Amino acid sequence: MRVPALTLRALILAAFAVFFVAPIVWLILAPTKSDAALVTSSPFSFGSFGNAWRAWHHLDAFSDHIYRRWMANSLIYSLSATAITLAVSIPAGYGLALGRFPGRKLILSVTLVVMIMPAATLVLPIFLELNALHLIGSMFSVILPFSFFPFGVYLAYIYYSTAIPSELLDAARVDGCGEWSTFRRVALPLAKPVVALVFFFSFVSNWNNFFLPYVVLADSNQYPITVGLSNLLASTPSFNPAVGGGGQSVNIFKPELALATLLAVIPVAIVFLVSQRALVRGMLGGAVKE
Amino acid sequence: MRGLRVPRGAAFVLAYLPFLILFGVAPTIYALDLAFTDANGGWVGFHNFVRTYEDFRFLPAFKHILLYTVVWLGALMVFVVGLALLLHGRANRVSSAYRFLFYIPGALAGAAAVVIWLFMLDPTVSPASFLLHHVLGADIFAQSIAPGNLPYIFAMIAFWTGAGAWIVVMYGALNTIPPDLEEAARIDGAGAFTIAFRLKLPLMRKWIAYMLILSFATGTQLFVEPELVQHASFGLVPDTWSANQLAYQIAFRYADFNGAAAIAVDLLALGLVGALIIVTRSGLFRTEDD
Amino acid sequence: MKAKRPHVALASLAAVAAAAAALVAVSSGGASSANASATPSGSITVWVDAVRLPVAKLYVKTHPKVHVKIVLYDGDGNGATTMQTKIQLWNRAGKGWPDVVFTEQANDPVWMAQAPYNFAKNLKGVFPASLIAGWPAPSLSQCTVNGRLVCLQDNLAQEVLYVNKKLMTKFGYQVPKTWQQYAALGAKVAKEHPGYIIGTLGDSYGHWLYLWPDSCPISQVVAPNTVRINSADVHCTRMAKLLDPLLANKSVSTVTIFSPDFAKAYGGDDDKILLMPGPTWYAKDIFGGTLKVPAGEMTAAMPLRWNNEPLTTGQVGGGPWVVSDHTKNVAAAIDFVKFSTTSFAVKRKPGPLSPGYPSYGPAATLWLKNLNRDPYFAAPPGAAMKAAASLVWKGWSMVTYPDQPVWSNSVVTQLVAGKSLSDQLSALGSGLSNNAKAAGYKVVSK
Repeated sequence: MRVPALTLRALILAAFAVFFVAPIVWLILAPTKSDAALVTSSPFSFGSFGNAWRAWHHLDAFSDHIYRRWMANSLIYSLSATAITLAVSIPAGYGLALGRFPGRKLILSVTLVVMIMPAATLVLPIFLELNALHLIGSMFSVILPFSFFPFGVYLAYIYYSTAIPSELLDAARVDGCGEWSTFRRVALPLAKPVVALVFFFSFVSNWNNFFLPYVVLADSNQYPITVGLSNLLASTPSFNPAVGGGGQSVNIFKPELALATLLAVIPVAIVFLVSQRALVRGMLGGAVKE
Repeated sequence: MRGLRVPRGAAFVLAYLPFLILFGVAPTIYALDLAFTDANGGWVGFHNFVRTYEDFRFLPAFKHILLYTVVWLGALMVFVVGLALLLHGRANRVSSAYRFLFYIPGALAGAAAVVIWLFMLDPTVSPASFLLHHVLGADIFAQSIAPGNLPYIFAMIAFWTGAGAWIVVMYGALNTIPPDLEEAARIDGAGAFTIAFRLKLPLMRKWIAYMLILSFATGTQLFVEPELVQHASFGLVPDTWSANQLAYQIAFRYADFNGAAAIAVDLLALGLVGALIIVTRSGLFRTEDD
Repeated sequence: MKAKRPHVALASLAAVAAAAAALVAVSSGGASSANASATPSGSITVWVDAVRLPVAKLYVKTHPKVHVKIVLYDGDGNGATTMQTKIQLWNRAGKGWPDVVFTEQANDPVWMAQAPYNFAKNLKGVFPASLIAGWPAPSLSQCTVNGRLVCLQDNLAQEVLYVNKKLMTKFGYQVPKTWQQYAALGAKVAKEHPGYIIGTLGDSYGHWLYLWPDSCPISQVVAPNTVRINSADVHCTRMAKLLDPLLANKSVSTVTIFSPDFAKAYGGDDDKILLMPGPTWYAKDIFGGTLKVPAGEMTAAMPLRWNNEPLTTGQVGGGPWVVSDHTKNVAAAIDFVKFSTTSFAVKRKPGPLSPGYPSYGPAATLWLKNLNRDPYFAAPPGAAMKAAASLVWKGWSMVTYPDQPVWSNSVVTQLVAGKSLSDQLSALGSGLSNNAKAAGYKVVSK
């Protein structure tokens, strides 16, 4: 019975791998072809490095190198917000999972409710709050809301409530540890996997966030790459017939759009590679071992 | 510290609370306030809800997202859990290679994913033009995005970007299962299927519940995919296809933040009902001591 | 040493004079003066779409005294609501408005000029009246809302009939002058040269190209806040009936000219476009640029008329420039718009700086001259464009809601699926009515 099962398993995994990866492969190859070649030649053919270089030049020349600004913005917003998120969410998840205080369940419920609240509705009130604090126009109008990451708190909560058996904590307390040293001695060293997970999801969520920056940032020089990409999409003659004619002078066609998309993915792919080991090792590690 | 009668764990959530209030609670309360008042702040009861319900775009939008959500959740439940189970317990390197491949699309910003799928759905450039022709009956882009296909297309895009992350989480959850349990079951003669469905699946309960709650909420809040496909389709897809898009248009096109808030509260209620059902049936909030 | 003193004296005198002149310039080049001799200075923020970027950059280059911040956005193309979002938020925040906005949506100024947006500035009295006189009356009336001139059109976008002279001659076809001849030609083309087309209904503005010329009353403001929408009117039904067989025999396409599908099927070296009703801005940029139709084939002819009835045609866009009512630097804002719309350096010839037919009369004359000289065309297309400018049917009003999405969502999707246009008229009418009512209009059918 083993061999057919293995083959079936391999087939299914491979089919899904193709589904997930083929569009990416297309994306990687697309900038190497000219706009016309994309339509006429085989989807997985390689064009030339010259085409890719030209596509980069067009993309870079768009709006005074604004693409570089967009990437830099995304990096700054995402990393800063993730740093704050980690500092705030890991302890919070720990406290909610293993603490005993009035309002614990309330905070959990409120967190869950807030996660479900449609983003479009929260954005306007958040805008008004930021405005009242005179933060509109500064990068903190993006970084601070990004730092609020209830999903991260929940991940930490679930991790700490399932992965750390109470014997371990009781052992620490019997030894005479106070709350803070318990956290430092027991919870923090075991936190590596969940820190990696939260870092990962927080960074990706920040990187991919579209709606909030779109609303609060009026200056296109401050856009993160998501909003920038949609800006680019709207400027592509293929997709947005400029009433009044002549979008051709902008030089953003399919290869440039594909390249813009591809480059936007690279930072997150790097983050994933870096977080891989911690994610792979899983959540328990050797906690229960002697 | 031991002498102090401080509720255990409260200090750890202190840093989280300002964020929760500023970007979670306060905006939610404000949104609720907007939903029950008019533009001048006067109380109008359910008037905004009735008014938006009667909008000619309301029912179609909710029908769209409910169909989309059902397809999306179904795909998640079956394929994410299935793939995670298939990947678990095998050669680590092969497993992590697959997980990496599945995750890569998740790295794409919402706008980036849509750009790729705009190309994938266009029979003139797509490597899957064969599938488009035979499955969707489409020979040109306009046919690919025919109104009847949209819920399935958006579900597929959302699955393509979102499944990888959840597979990672589920895989991590599977790793919290003590290997001795699996070993014991195998010694008892249980086959791969039995181990997967009778041993592993029940232990993933909390994680699956979490995935379903969040996915239900994000499903009903669908925005980025239809919004960008709408931009790129020369208007063939309406800008009020999803309920969240409708809320956005009502807020920013008609300057009717009260109506928009009413729709958002409708979505919130939907998400809460779903969450309530899932929480009570899976015991998500129970800690070990309850 | 003595020789130096007169020089020194002269120099001091000159310095004093210069200082005095500078003082005068500073004090008289103030914000509210539209004095042409005072050079604008200070800073402004302008929002433009990608197509207007070269113009904005040229302004920056030629006006070093003005610090211009250029913000690129989607231009509200295809009925997008970008500007509405932003203006709402700026209004709420009480700050952040740009000084000048270009939009591709001709109806944008209508809502910009009214509550709750209150964004557009009345240009009468601030923009030089002598220049305003250079705009054709219909263009100015399109920009007039509640008696205020709230925008100035960048270009005129009247519809003409583009003709592939080379192919028409090759196949021995006559250029039609009426819709009836057009339909007859379509039947012939489908039989003799299947695969060739004489038009398309698949654009988001297909109704502007085919229903507007026939006076179909589906966007006619008849009283304040009252719009007449009657898609069952004979002018709509008869045109749909004329087009249905052409859709069925595929001589009229259902694909938009901007899609790669269209370019692949009908463009390129062996292009299959015999005729194409389209706006003036198609000219070189769409046929030569997007569709890559070779030189020496295309020209423009007069738009079609219905039998012997008076000739009216449609319109596709025209790009209004709007100045913000909140601007703190009126002089520079006005100067920017003036440069973009009237400067011969910009509007001289068809190209990236001026792809469309300039609204400003004197510039249009020069543009047309260079258009007619352009070797891309098989014959000078300017005459037809100029004649058509005054033939746009006036019964199609600009309203506060965009109608393109209704056409795209409810009609084009069905045409693509093979249905007839006549069957979609009712959905078109009700879709427009719903949008009108949602926007606060009263809808009548007479």
